[in-house]
Amino acid sequence: MSEKTRVPTAINGGPFGQAWSARADCLQSLTGALLGAFLLVHMHFEASILLGKETFYRFVQVLEGGMFSATGHGWPLVTQIFSVFILVIVVVHAALALRRFPVQLGQWRALRGFMSNIKHKDTRAWYWQMITGFILFFLVSAHLATMILDPEIGPHLSADRVYNGHAWILYVVFLPVVLVHGLIGLYRVILKWGVSNNRSLIRTIAQVLMIYLLCLGSLSLITYISIGSELTLPVQPFIPK
Amino acid sequence: MSRKITFNIFRYDPQDSQDKPKMERYELTETDGMTVFIALNQLREQQDTSLQFDFVCRAGICGSCAMVINGFPTLACRTLTANYPDGEITLMPLPGFELIGDLSVNTGKFMRELAERLKLWLHPKPDDQDMHRLENPMAPEEAARIYELERCVECGVCVSACATKQMRDTFVGAVGMMKIARFEMDSRDNRSADDFYHVIGNQDGVFGCMTLLGCQDNCPKDLPHMQQIAYLRRKMASTIL
Repeated sequence: MSEKTRVPTAINGGPFGQAWSARADCLQSLTGALLGAFLLVHMHFEASILLGKETFYRFVQVLEGGMFSATGHGWPLVTQIFSVFILVIVVVHAALALRRFPVQLGQWRALRGFMSNIKHKDTRAWYWQMITGFILFFLVSAHLATMILDPEIGPHLSADRVYNGHAWILYVVFLPVVLVHGLIGLYRVILKWGVSNNRSLIRTIAQVLMIYLLCLGSLSLITYISIGSELTLPVQPFIPK
Repeated sequence: MSRKITFNIFRYDPQDSQDKPKMERYELTETDGMTVFIALNQLREQQDTSLQFDFVCRAGICGSCAMVINGFPTLACRTLTANYPDGEITLMPLPGFELIGDLSVNTGKFMRELAERLKLWLHPKPDDQDMHRLENPMAPEEAARIYELERCVECGVCVSACATKQMRDTFVGAVGMMKIARFEMDSRDNRSADDFYHVIGNQDGVFGCMTLLGCQDNCPKDLPHMQQIAYLRRKMASTIL
């Protein structure tokens, strides 16, 4: 293998010419870990509907800064701003993760050939993480676009969006795809940086979380659909007792 | 009672322009303690003298007889046929290397090119160039740490088990990083962290590794690839952060 001619540029020059490789890798792991952690928290917040409309309303109220607003309901603008923030992280993460995609036909063939000849669980796991990552480009965009354009959250308003707005179709696909991508990603990022070397334990935790969150998310979705189907139009926001 | 075992073996001679890749079936009677290596020798002696495969030591030391056995890249001399209860064994050459013929691949050429590219030899300190002078004593702990990584037999299994390497030819793979780590921890080597950073602190090195862990899961010498690459990654990343 011969040395390639390198033309120095802003991101490829100086004594540490390839520092951007390191920065890109760190940033991809960091954004991935952030999104993974957010996923775990987010799933529990929206599952608070399982404890009743009132509980979910109180959660939203706190998260949207209800204690600071005159009405006590908080501001949907908080959701909008947070959604934009998450979107920025997603865009950065996706742009960096693109480096890992087998974008050329030859690379894709090499990967498929490898997978048909060599049996390896973690490579298969990464393959599904990559496929789900590609699907998430579209699903996350759709989800976040909804939250930015129509940020009203509440037991009735969310249920209305899920049932009457047919968002349940998005979430039925979104839930397993995001869990597969996120949990395999968290498992891999922990091993990648040597946060822990107890691989079997981390794998077991990821598998247990997968089943738990899939059940939790499915039950929440069913609950929203159930609430949505009982709403009378036009939908009125939930008023706590 | 001895049983019959069946071998499906990849056959192709790239030197013969008329030849085409194919799988051929062979049967033989299993004996006690039979390894795939012993079986291959029997097949070549008794059934097909044209069968090509490599071996030297028969004891897992030379790394010559690495091949893909039922989907797992490993050493033929350390694989018992008794491990396969159905008696069906498929043998393929290691992917990612120049094929000499049948199960024989040119790992030597690959390892030499890698060593030249990464400069995988000891670079003595300026005051330690006199070969007639006694070397400075080394702490036993350091010697043990170096020896742990020095156990690599350059069999090529980690290269074949790595989907990243199969997709990106310029990626150095676990064997390259393991050897860099070996010299990085050697107090006799004059190279600094910056020098190593220039060699593997890029997309072809630690920041191109996707932690698929094929190297870790298949290494016949059980080398700690996962921890070692994570250590290098942290170390290289810390030099730019």
